Amino acid sequence: MKGRLLVVMAMFGLLMPACSGGGDEGCTEDPANGQFCLTFWHGYTDYEKDWLNTALDEWNAENPKIHIDPLYVNNDSALQKLTVALQGGEPPDITYQYGSSLAEVADAPGLVDLSDWVNQPNVNWDDFIPGARSAATFEGKVLGVPALVDNLAIVYNKTLFDDAGLDYPSPDWTWDDLRAAAKALTDPAAKQFGFAYPMDASEDSVWHWDPLLWQNGGSILNEDNTQAAFNSPEGVEALQVFTGMAVEDQSVFLDIQNSAYTNVFNSGRIAMLETGPWDLPSFPDVDYGVEILPGFDGDHQTIAGPDMWCVFDNGNGREQAALKFLQWLTSAEQIKKEALATGHLPIRLSVAEHRAFLKNFADAWPGVDVFAENLTNVEQARPVLAAYPSVSTAMGNAIVSAMLGETDAKSALDQAAAEANDALAAGG
Amino acid sequence: MSAASQDAGTVTPFRRFLVSDHLSGWAFILPAVILIVVFGILPIVWGLILSFQKAGLISPDREWVGFDNYARIASDPKARQAAINTITYTALFVPISILAALFVAHALNRKIAFIRFYRLAVFIPVVTSTIATGIMFLWLFDKHFGLANWLLGKAGLGPFGFFEDPNQAMLALVVMTVWGWLGFDTIIYLAALQGVPQQLLEAASIDGASRWTSFWRITWPMLGPATLLLVVWSTISALQLFDEVFFVTKGGPVGRTSVVVFYVYKLAFEQGLGSLSLAGYAAAIAYVLFLVILVLTLAQFWLGRRVIHYAS
Repeated sequence: MKGRLLVVMAMFGLLMPACSGGGDEGCTEDPANGQFCLTFWHGYTDYEKDWLNTALDEWNAENPKIHIDPLYVNNDSALQKLTVALQGGEPPDITYQYGSSLAEVADAPGLVDLSDWVNQPNVNWDDFIPGARSAATFEGKVLGVPALVDNLAIVYNKTLFDDAGLDYPSPDWTWDDLRAAAKALTDPAAKQFGFAYPMDASEDSVWHWDPLLWQNGGSILNEDNTQAAFNSPEGVEALQVFTGMAVEDQSVFLDIQNSAYTNVFNSGRIAMLETGPWDLPSFPDVDYGVEILPGFDGDHQTIAGPDMWCVFDNGNGREQAALKFLQWLTSAEQIKKEALATGHLPIRLSVAEHRAFLKNFADAWPGVDVFAENLTNVEQARPVLAAYPSVSTAMGNAIVSAMLGETDAKSALDQAAAEANDALAAGG
Repeated sequence: MSAASQDAGTVTPFRRFLVSDHLSGWAFILPAVILIVVFGILPIVWGLILSFQKAGLISPDREWVGFDNYARIASDPKARQAAINTITYTALFVPISILAALFVAHALNRKIAFIRFYRLAVFIPVVTSTIATGIMFLWLFDKHFGLANWLLGKAGLGPFGFFEDPNQAMLALVVMTVWGWLGFDTIIYLAALQGVPQQLLEAASIDGASRWTSFWRITWPMLGPATLLLVVWSTISALQLFDEVFFVTKGGPVGRTSVVVFYVYKLAFEQGLGSLSLAGYAAAIAYVLFLVILVLTLAQFWLGRRVIHYAS
C-alpha cells in the first residue's frame, strides 16, 4: 500500500510544475515599492525584433523599477488572443493592436481611456501623424497610442520595365496608364504578370481598393455611418479598373493565399505591386522603385493602416508605469531609432519632416522616402465601427467575386451594400 | 494492512476506503477526468448557456434572448450556405474515403516485400499536421506555379484553378482531406480484413466462387462493423471540418468552402466581437450542428444494427 501511495503522489508531483503559472525569471512584482513587471505583447519579427530588444535593453537598464517583459503575439491573431486573455481575466498591460480592431477592443473591460493623458505636454499628441491619431480615437475617446503608420504606393520592378522599353510609373500617372503598362508587361508564356492583388476576401482585398474609391469621389459609408455608399457609380467605376485588368486583360496575379505574391515578385515575375513599406525587405533580389499611387483626375490620395498600443488597467499603479514606458517608446528620439532600424515610417511629424533624417532613412531603406512623403496624401480613414468587420467581409467578397469574373462590378457591389446595410442596422 | 491490525476495534468505512483499491483507482484517473470535465464538459454547458444570450467575447455584457438566436439561423443566408457546403463536403468525403480505404487496405493485405514500408507510408499523412498538409497542397495546387498543373499540362489538360476557382475549390478540399485521412480508415479496414477467416475464402473458391462473389458474399459482410465505425467516425469528422478550411481556403473563394464550424469561428472571433455580440448566435449554430450530428449518428447505428452481421 505504501508503494502504491508513493506512485500516486509522484504522479501528482509531476503535474505540479505544469500547473504553476509562468513568471518572468528576472522580475519580481512589488507594487508597494514601485517595482513593476509589465506584460508587453508585440508582433515584431526579424530585424524589427532586433530593434525592439535593443530598445527594451536600454529601457530596462535605465528603469529597473519598471521592467518590461515582452511576449511575441502574431499581429493577425492579437485580437483573438486578447479575447482569450480577457475571458481569463488577465489582459496584458500593453498590447499591439491593428487600428481596424479599435471598435472591437473599445468594449474591453479594463481598457484605459487615454483622453486625459494625451493632453500632457511631454506626450506632444499633436506631433503624431493625423491619421494615426484619428485611428486611435473611438467615439471621441483616445484608446490607443500610435505604434505604426504606413500607406499604400506602387512598388515596381525596374528591370522588367527596362526590358520592355517602358517608362517607369510617374507621379501623375492615371489608373488607365497603370492598366496599360500592366497589360504590356503580362506574358502568359513566361508566367509574368503586370500586377498582383490579394484575393482572400479579407480586409487586405478591401483596403487595397479603398484609395481608388476615394480618389474617384466615392466613400465607404454615408455621413452618419448608417448606410453603405461604396456601390455608387463612382465606386463601380473604381472597381471596374481592377475587374478590367483581372478579367479582360488577365494581367493580374490573383493571390488567393495573400502571401505568395512576395515570392513571385521577388523572383521577377510581377511588374507592379500596390503595397506598403513593410514588404520592401522581402524584395532583396529585385531592383525596385517606389512611386505614389496613380490617380483619378489628379487625385492621388492613398490609405494608411495605423496600428496602436492599447493599455489595460491591471491595478496597483501598473497603468501609470505602462504609460511612462509608452511615452518613452513613442518619443521622437526612439521613433528615429526605430525608423532607421526597421524601415517603419516615423509616426511623428517632427521626425517625418526632418530633411537630414529622411536622407539617412532613404539611404538605409531604398524607396521608403516615397512612402514617408506619401503620408501627406493620406486624407481619409476607414470608418471605426463595431459593424465594420461585417462591412469589410461584404466588400471583400464583392471585390474577389468581381475580379474572378463571377459577377460584374455593379451587381457585386450592390449585393455587398445590402449585406453591409443589414450589419449596420443590426448593431455597432 | 497495518492500520487495520493495529486498531483492535472496528475498521471504519473511511479507513477501509483509504486502503482500498478505490482510492488509488480514482487517483490514477483523476487527472484525465479533470481534463475532460474542464476542457470538454464545461465548454459544452457554457456553450448552451451562451446560445440563449446575446453576448460577445470581449465585452462582459450579457443579455438573455431566449430562442432568438436559434430562430435567426433560419433566415441567415450565410448559415444556409455553410450548411449546404458542409453537407456537400460530407457527401463527397465519406464515401470516397471509405471506398478508397477499402481498395488500399485490400492492396496492403498481402505478404510482399516492403509491405511494412507501404503501410507506414499510407499512415504518414494522418500524423502530419493539417497546417503542413495545407501549405503543401497550396503550393501543389497553385494555378500558375504548382506541380499539379505542370503535370496535367504535360498530359494536355488545361490549367485548373483548384483552390482559386469557386467551382473547383470544394473538390480540391475533398482531395486534400481524403489524402490526409486515408491512412486512418485503411488501418481499420486492414485489421478487419485480417479477421476474415481464411478457411471460409478457401472453401468458397473450392466451391467455384469467383473473386468478386467471395468478396461480396464473405468479406464485405464481415467488414460490416468496421464499415459502420468508419462511416460514423468519418461523418462526424467531416461535419466538423475546420482546420483545412481556416488555413487553406479561408472559406473562399467567395464563400464556396465556408463550412459550419468555420462560419461559427468567424462569427464569434472576427465579426461578433464588440457591440455586435455574435458569440451567442455562433453558439446556437454550434448547438444545431451538435444535434444534427447526434441524430445522424443514432440513425447510422440503428441502420447498422439492422444490416450488419456480427461474427460470433
